[in-house]
Amino acid sequence: MSTLAAAAGVVDDPVELARFTRIDGARGLAESSLQLSGLHCAACAGQIEAALAAVDGVLDAEVSYAASRVRVRWQPQRTRASTLVAAIHRAGYGAVPDTAAQARAMRAAEQRQLLWRLFVAVFCAMQVMMLATPVYVADAGSLAPDLEQLLQRSAWMLTLPVLLFSAAPFFVSAWSSLRQRRLGMDVPVALGVAVAFVASSGAAFDPGGVFGREVYFDSLTMFVSFLLAGRWLELRARHAATDAIERLGFAAPRQAWRIVDAHGRIEAVSVERLVAGDRVRVPLGEAFPGDGVLEDGSTQADESLLTGESTPVPKSVGDSVVAGSMNLGAPVIARIERTGADTRFEQIAALMREALTCRPETTRLADRIAGPFLAAVLLLALGAALVWWTIDPSRAIWVAVSVLIVTCPCALSLAAPSALLAATAALARRGVLLRRVDALETLARVDHVMLDKTGTLTQPRPQWRATHALDACDEAGRRQRTLDAAALACWSTHPLARALVEAVPEAAAQAARWHEVHEVRGHGLEALDAAGQRWRLGSSRWLGLAPGDAHAEAALAFGPVGQPLLAIEFDESLRDDALASVVALRAQGIALTVLSGDEATRVSRLAARLGIDHAVAGAAPERKLDALRRLQSDGHVVAMVGDGVNDAPVLAQADVSFALVHGAQIARAAADAVLLSARLQDIAHALHVARRTVRVIRQNLVWAALYNAACVPLALAGLLPPWAAGLGMAASSVFVVGNAMRLARIA
Amino acid sequence: MDILYLLIPLSSVLVLGIVGVFAWALHRGQFDDIEREGERILDETQVASVSTPEQSRNV
Repeated sequence: MSTLAAAAGVVDDPVELARFTRIDGARGLAESSLQLSGLHCAACAGQIEAALAAVDGVLDAEVSYAASRVRVRWQPQRTRASTLVAAIHRAGYGAVPDTAAQARAMRAAEQRQLLWRLFVAVFCAMQVMMLATPVYVADAGSLAPDLEQLLQRSAWMLTLPVLLFSAAPFFVSAWSSLRQRRLGMDVPVALGVAVAFVASSGAAFDPGGVFGREVYFDSLTMFVSFLLAGRWLELRARHAATDAIERLGFAAPRQAWRIVDAHGRIEAVSVERLVAGDRVRVPLGEAFPGDGVLEDGSTQADESLLTGESTPVPKSVGDSVVAGSMNLGAPVIARIERTGADTRFEQIAALMREALTCRPETTRLADRIAGPFLAAVLLLALGAALVWWTIDPSRAIWVAVSVLIVTCPCALSLAAPSALLAATAALARRGVLLRRVDALETLARVDHVMLDKTGTLTQPRPQWRATHALDACDEAGRRQRTLDAAALACWSTHPLARALVEAVPEAAAQAARWHEVHEVRGHGLEALDAAGQRWRLGSSRWLGLAPGDAHAEAALAFGPVGQPLLAIEFDESLRDDALASVVALRAQGIALTVLSGDEATRVSRLAARLGIDHAVAGAAPERKLDALRRLQSDGHVVAMVGDGVNDAPVLAQADVSFALVHGAQIARAAADAVLLSARLQDIAHALHVARRTVRVIRQNLVWAALYNAACVPLALAGLLPPWAAGLGMAASSVFVVGNAMRLARIA
Repeated sequence: MDILYLLIPLSSVLVLGIVGVFAWALHRGQFDDIEREGERILDETQVASVSTPEQSRNV
């Protein structure tokens, strides 16, 4: 225990604490995220919550059974993190801070421990079955009574490891729930196992006594084996989903190579010690330690963890790189601009943690009805035993045991959470991050999607539209000037300049015509032509166009200083997949609306290009909100996709909302889901996954209900032996989890 | 068939013994990385640490 105590002490160390706890000093609040182990059923979540709530200084605790995590809000001046961990240990569960490898190692240990329990149970069950066979196959009277007794006692001995070791988790969990005056899902199971064992032991050692002559060691060991097999499969599925979601959190590097002086000498430092402005060397195959800009070299970066985009992104000097993306091309030097919690990576990881600890509404409902349901099960079993006692006392005990085992609502409690978790993991792999798991259920009912125009349907990158001559010059002259302007634009990396060069690619060969080029920040380019005249390419204001002049609203103007000759206009370009995703959404029967603050002609032109019938133009945030409320009051379930600050209220009002990851932070905070990939097609995909998820949940609930409805009467009628009850229960849980896992495979 | 009275208890005890030995092996970590033992012959960095003094002399 001393290592446990030492480990618990480390938890209170401020540096360690910061890795799994958010501390709000102003309000005296801390919020910690812990990884749990030892959870068997949804009811365990309630027990841990109760145990934590009993600690002085804990405000509230929220356990997610599906992800085996707990989020605790507590007051640092009244308690400590180690006290929380100790409270969870006392309740009979394990807890470690929710950071990297430690939690993963704990999951592996938990899985291995369960597998070992399963092995012992199956191995002993086979031997017990062998010892039980002679009694079944022998003709009446051909088996000597003392030999039969010897076989029974041998079977008893081989049942002991199953009872004491393999079935121990059921007893521990049943006991801890009873101690808290609650009925956990393991109470009927533990009771069934205990009753069967006591009755069989009585029969084996005192034949013809109160417990009769029947022994159930074979049923008992088989039942425990089936149950553990079901648990093991369920645990594996749960861990696989947790791993998929968590892979994000483990990609962050812990060490960086900082360049200390002008000679390029480097030192290894912890990423915690990096500050903005540091220059770091990023070797091939390592992850970028912070958000920053590439300073030297060119490479490809794998940003798939952050965007779900699997092709490496080429990066050259001046391009921005994000923390956690892998350097795949060549060693490079980067200047760090943001570190630690400010990086986009950390913000996404924080969203992830939030999603993992959020418990869906359906699960909370299941927890609430579990108590009364289990009480009814116990009463039913007791009633069955009493009734059968009057009919046939020798069968009373195993009927009661069958009823206890067969009614365990494990499948019912797994129906929704397993499906939601699998779908969340599948979407996370695609780059769609759900902040609320509940959003999936609403998303499945969505019949109207509102799309923001700027930045959502269109790219932030502009596209050249037209050039207008500002003096009376002919078409050929205008074309020549456009070429000149584009040749000058080659000297700049500004998005407008790049767009112009893209529109007139032949200009690149003539860039050398300009000399003494320099860029005036915020205005444009200035250069001398072959004749020595000074020209400008830049904002129309800088060129001397006053508001009110023709084409004064054009983005760029070009001409000799003080004498603008050419106005250049730009347009927004559609995202590559905008049309495809609109088609995909309409194919799913979704109505679409474009929302924009832009002028009406532009918006309706864009809507017509995409084939969207509804467009709301010139909309301030309030008008956008009105349009949304009108749709909602007509009974539509509306999803909103946006990215800007002005979208935040609309995102919050919509039934389900998506924010693009490049968008404003406030938009991301208001949204239910974040599109890491910036692929609009993922919205159609998310809708598809949500509908499948709801279908799977419904199938699971129907299956679990049918199973209980069919098996309980059979057990009451005495037609279902305990081993068959155990097999049925384990099979129904496995069916439910397996059905949910189909969602993880949607590509 | 009197021998059954010896063999049945014996086999039961043997089963428990086998489970115990397997538990010991498992928890000592003997099955932690089954692949590695087979691949160790291909691992150059391991050579120095596993070769005994007289092997080094023979080389």
